[in-house]
Amino acid sequence: MSIRSTTNAWGVLARVFHWGMLVLYAGLIGVGYYMSDLPMSAAKMKIYALHKSVGVLMLLLVVLRVLWRWMDRRPSITPTAAWQQRIATVVVGGLYLLMFALPLTGWAYNSAAGFPLRWFNVYNLPALMEASPTLKVWMKEAHESGAVIFMAVIGLHALAALKHHFIDRDQTLMQMLPGRRGDR
Amino acid sequence: MRLHGVLALGLLAGMPAMASTVYPVQAGSSLQFQGTQQGEKFMGAIKQFDARINFDPGQLANSSFEVNMQLKSMDTRNAERDMAMQTSEWFDVSHYPIATFKTTSFRQTPQGVAADADLTIKGRSKHIVFPFVWQKTPAGATLDAKVPLDRLDFGLGAGEWSDESMVGHRVDVIVHLVLGPAVATPDPVAPKSNVHQTKPPSQKK
Repeated sequence: MSIRSTTNAWGVLARVFHWGMLVLYAGLIGVGYYMSDLPMSAAKMKIYALHKSVGVLMLLLVVLRVLWRWMDRRPSITPTAAWQQRIATVVVGGLYLLMFALPLTGWAYNSAAGFPLRWFNVYNLPALMEASPTLKVWMKEAHESGAVIFMAVIGLHALAALKHHFIDRDQTLMQMLPGRRGDR
Repeated sequence: MRLHGVLALGLLAGMPAMASTVYPVQAGSSLQFQGTQQGEKFMGAIKQFDARINFDPGQLANSSFEVNMQLKSMDTRNAERDMAMQTSEWFDVSHYPIATFKTTSFRQTPQGVAADADLTIKGRSKHIVFPFVWQKTPAGATLDAKVPLDRLDFGLGAGEWSDESMVGHRVDVIVHLVLGPAVATPDPVAPKSNVHQTKPPSQKK
């Protein structure tokens, strides 16, 4: 399996981005739900700090991912109906949009709430906006709804992959699964 | 502002037992503090306080400052932080609603004037040196000071909160008082007050 994608399968780097980021998103969303209900404590602040740091890392990773996607070639699409291809394009586009929107709304929420943003205890990032109780409510809503929508779209994407695998019985899922299976 | 009323009453009641020059605190005055959270500075303000500023550069021995700060009025423009500061781990405001600052003496320093004072927060008193800049203005005077404190001296955020990478130990208190025309109480005999007092006058030794 090569670093770059081939006409038959996604390359190592694309798969690492795909599955690695999925794991990190799952962790972020899980921690996100858990931490918001905690009573105020130093531990809570540390969990938030970690969530924010990893969130900013995801923003960096998605930029790299988009660049790589643009440089890399893509496996040929298994022929399906045109409407299905259109939906797939919209879903994947939505996923990329959300991968940017989630860290950015989180960052904005943090700024509107008046909190500092220290990246892994290394570097302080600037606020995206002035602290404002009104904007804080909106940004919190955007960030939380964004996570729910993100999970829903990931679900659609996963269902489509399973449909390809079990109903269409084509190589679409195999092209992305970890390991060598898709790389014929 | 409520504090002016209190001050005026205090003056009429003849708070000091000796000649003094009391400057009423006016709008535009502020008591602020600057802390550090996760490597980033933030500003807060104590919005409600009353200050009795009795100062005469020529009579340091007769001068005195007395400030009461309502800690419920602290505002750092961050609702979560403000709420946390009210809890027992920080200021424990329900048990210690007021922080007090009282000078014990004044002295000339090469930089100007400094007061020795007792600052009491959360029931803990600490002696601090309070250097300040006093400037006469046509309308009265201004008083400016910036004093570094260590929050741990007052038991603010001990235990798991003492981690400096989360909240810095040093907090600078920044005082800016705009003072109106001085009101001199001419003699040691306190004039009788015929005004209903809402607050017992504090005694100066």
